[in-house]
Formats: sequence, C-alpha cells, structure tokens
Amino acid sequence: MKTLRATLNATPRSLSAAKDLAEAYIDYSRQVGDAHYAGYAEAVIAPWVRAAAPPAAALVIQATILQYRHQFDAARGLLQKTLEIDPRNAQAWLTLATLDMVQGDYETAAKDCAQVVSNAGIDIGLSCVGSLRSYTGQARQSLTLLQQVETAAARAPAGYQAWVQGLLAESAERLGDWPLAETHYRAALRLQPQDNYLLVAYADFLLDRSRPEEVLPLLADHTQSDTAFLRLALAQSALHSEQVQRSTWIMAARFEALRLRGSEYFGREESRFALALQHDPHAALEMALRNWQVQRAPWDARVVLEAALAAKQPAAAAAVLEFLQKTKLEDPILAPLAKDLRAQLQEP
Amino acid sequence: MRIARRSFPAPSTFGLMAIFRLMALLGSISVAASSTAVAHSASDAYLTLTAEKSSAAGRTIIHGQWDIALRDLDFALKLDEDGDGRLTWSEVRHHQSAIDQYAYRYLKIDAGEHNACSITPSRQMIDEHADGAYAALFFDAVCAHAPRKITLHYALFFAIDPSHRGIFVFKSDSNIATALLSPDNADINVGL
Repeated sequence: MKTLRATLNATPRSLSAAKDLAEAYIDYSRQVGDAHYAGYAEAVIAPWVRAAAPPAAALVIQATILQYRHQFDAARGLLQKTLEIDPRNAQAWLTLATLDMVQGDYETAAKDCAQVVSNAGIDIGLSCVGSLRSYTGQARQSLTLLQQVETAAARAPAGYQAWVQGLLAESAERLGDWPLAETHYRAALRLQPQDNYLLVAYADFLLDRSRPEEVLPLLADHTQSDTAFLRLALAQSALHSEQVQRSTWIMAARFEALRLRGSEYFGREESRFALALQHDPHAALEMALRNWQVQRAPWDARVVLEAALAAKQPAAAAAVLEFLQKTKLEDPILAPLAKDLRAQLQEP
Repeated sequence: MRIARRSFPAPSTFGLMAIFRLMALLGSISVAASSTAVAHSASDAYLTLTAEKSSAAGRTIIHGQWDIALRDLDFALKLDEDGDGRLTWSEVRHHQSAIDQYAYRYLKIDAGEHNACSITPSRQMIDEHADGAYAALFFDAVCAHAPRKITLHYALFFAIDPSHRGIFVFKSDSNIATALLSPDNADINVGL
C-alpha cells in the first residue's frame, strides 16, 4: 500500500493509480475486518466519484465501499449507473450478483451471474453460479461447480483460492458435511491466515460444533474486529469463562459507539449479541426482523428463527419461514428451527 | 477512566504485513465476504464542550475535551516511529505537539463572523475506549463578549477518511445539545 500511495502521490490525476490504491485499501479492510481502510479508499477515489461524468471504474469502487458498509440501496444505485455507462463491466455485474444474493433475490442474481459468465469468463462465472446454487436447494450441484473452479484456480493468487475454499466450505455446511466444511475452512485459512471473514466463519462453525475452546486461540489476535470480538465473547460464554462479563460490557460499548455514529447497521451481530449474551430474546427478535428487511443470507434467517423461538413468538418468523419454503434453502441448522416454529404455529 | 499504558498495538500499521493483491479483475471481488465480513470499527472522535458564562469578565470560556483515536492519528502523522506496529507511550509523548498542531487546524469556534474564539490547548492524556486508546486533548476556547450562540467548524480527518464522525456534545447552564459531525454536517450552531 505504501508503494501504491507513493505512485498516486507522484501522479495524483491518474485514475488507474487511484483505483489500485483504493482496491488495496478495500481488500485490506475486508481482510482484517477494519472499516477505517474503506474510509481511506473512499477518500482516494472521491475526486473521480464527484466528477460531473464519473468514470465506471470509480463508481464500482464507491459501490463496493457502500456495499461493505451495508448501504445496499445506495450501492445498487451506483452499480446500475455503472452498467448504463459500461454495460459489460464484469466487476459491476459480479458485485450486483453478490448484492442480490445477500438480499435473497435469487432470480435476479441468476441473471447477474449469466452476465458475469459472459463478461468475466467461465471461472469467475462458475463461482457466481456455484455459490448461488448453494442458496436454492442445489447445494450438491453447487459443490460440484465450485470443485471445478477449485481445480482451475490451482495457480491463481492465494486470495482468490482462499475465496473459493470459503465458498466450498459454505456449500459443504449447507449439506451438513461437517468434515468437508472443516477441510475447506482450514485450507482457506492456510492460504489467508489473517482473513477476518474466514476466521469469523470458521469460528461460527466451531461454535456450532460445540468446540468453543478452539475459538479462543483462533481469534486471540483479532480483538480489534468487532465481528471477531463477538465470537470470542460467545466462546467465553459457552465455556462459562469469568471473562464473559467484561467482554459483554465491551461489546455493548462498541455497539453503542456504532449507534452514536448513526450510519451503519449491523442487525445480525446485534441480534446474536442480545440473545446469547444479554439474554433478551425480545430485543433480539426485533433486531433480527429489522435486519431481515435489509439482508437475507442464511445467517439472517437463522437469527430470526432463533430469536422467535426464544421469545415464544412463532408468528413473528412467518415471513422467514415462507422465504425458506420458497427458496428451498437447504440448511441442517435452519431446518429443525423452522420445523419447531411451524409446529408451534399449528398448535391451537 | 484514564490509563497511561506503556504499549498497545497500532492496528493501522498492520499494513506492513504483506497483502495479497488479486488479479486486476479480482481486485474487489468477494461474493462470500460481502455477506458477513463487516468491520464495525470505524473512525470516531468525541468532542465535548462545556460553556462557562463569566459575565463579570465580559467573556465566555468554553472548556473542551476532544478524544481522538491514536490509530487515526497514527495514519495521519505516523506516530509509530520504529514501525514495529505498536505505539508506545513515549512515541505518543514525542508527538504531543504535532498532535495538537494537526488536530486544532481542523477545529474552529466562532461567535459570529469576524469574531473567532481563541482556542488554547491545556493538556493531553490517554483515554481508554472500548475500541482502543485515544488521545484526549483538553483546551479552553475564549470568546470575547458574551455571545448568545457559537458556531463550531469541524473538519478532522474528513479529507483522508470521509467516513470519520465526530460525536459532539455541548453543555451550558441552559442548554444541552448533541450532534453527529460529518462532511455533510460540519458546521454546527449552538445556543449558549
């Protein structure tokens, strides 16, 4: 990043130098789970975004930053604007596909992925289609497609390979194949040991498998990331550690700081926090339902179902239950929760 | 709670670690990451002003405390002299005057046009927040006469990180006000 910054300082009007530095900041921001770098990226690209006729490359970067901050509507607007300027912009199509998957609009995501296939090439296209299928009741196919991508990616950069390994792990989880999921998580972390997304996903996996003691060393050096910190606190709670009180206090203070700054919204994490650490199922349900209006990935469904069960309000989960039925999402963790809620709804 | 710590990590210098740059096209691709990899910790500073009316002397004194994250100051000023990724108490102390010079450039208070209140830094301490250590800058702003309102102009870090936010609290005998300072909301009027 130092070199890229020096290049930009030497050629301050070069969009390509700004783009390289902004992308490095965004990658790093994701990797370590630190939003500051997304802000630095925004400053770097700002002169082009503010231009009377902003170039497509700058708009895609700004959209990626907004998406990272969960400002999904604004991100979508910029991506559509990008595609008006440059209809074959592969990065814009892929980012849009991601957005549609996160928001549970799988029909539109399928069209986006088709555009990715024709504009970005078969391998990235297949990873788009492959991850989409893991959400639509075709996890077995998803795994097969992603395995093809894995083979083709054998010589790709480590970051890309780790991303594919993470997708494979997620698909294996959909199928309830825990040993396979773990193999892929570990492979991904061998490639990118500091990646916040992978560390947090693997920590969730370990928590679900009742292995909280392994979460503590995994995330010990990552307390700066709020998502990692939450998993540490959850692991401490599962282990009945004395530290959980202190961690709960710090986590609450961090959520309060986020609330004070007003812009961002992290309902999924807050709902888990309220349910598991503050033991407040009603608050957890309220946050989970609000989050569901914004994001609809499997974890977003899960926080609603868990909070609805704990709060004894099965009717509150109706929209999520309907979504699961419609999309045929396979998930061995969601299935029993949904079954319990449906049974409660049918009771007189 | 104030703790002068000997040493604490400065996450912004983790940049020294090698990072993987994907192929140009893959630069910002991350289907899976975008669904959950949210980094919550963003840049915040906390600014509290307490007005003390002193009609006898015919002027108004405003006491200020401004907490600024050391990691943000490190990004702007490179406080981590030895580049070891950790900020020590002595590194911060070495840069106290640089921190003052830098920060106060981005804070102005006036009591109407051509009537700036003069800001005098008094001391600096280290404040521990939930997300890390902050430099706490204490100052007094003196406004001539006894204005009925003042205007705050805030621009800290906006040029290098537009997502920075200043969390502002104002207290006087007759008024308590709060505001969220951002590039779109950088000039605030408060009644005394």
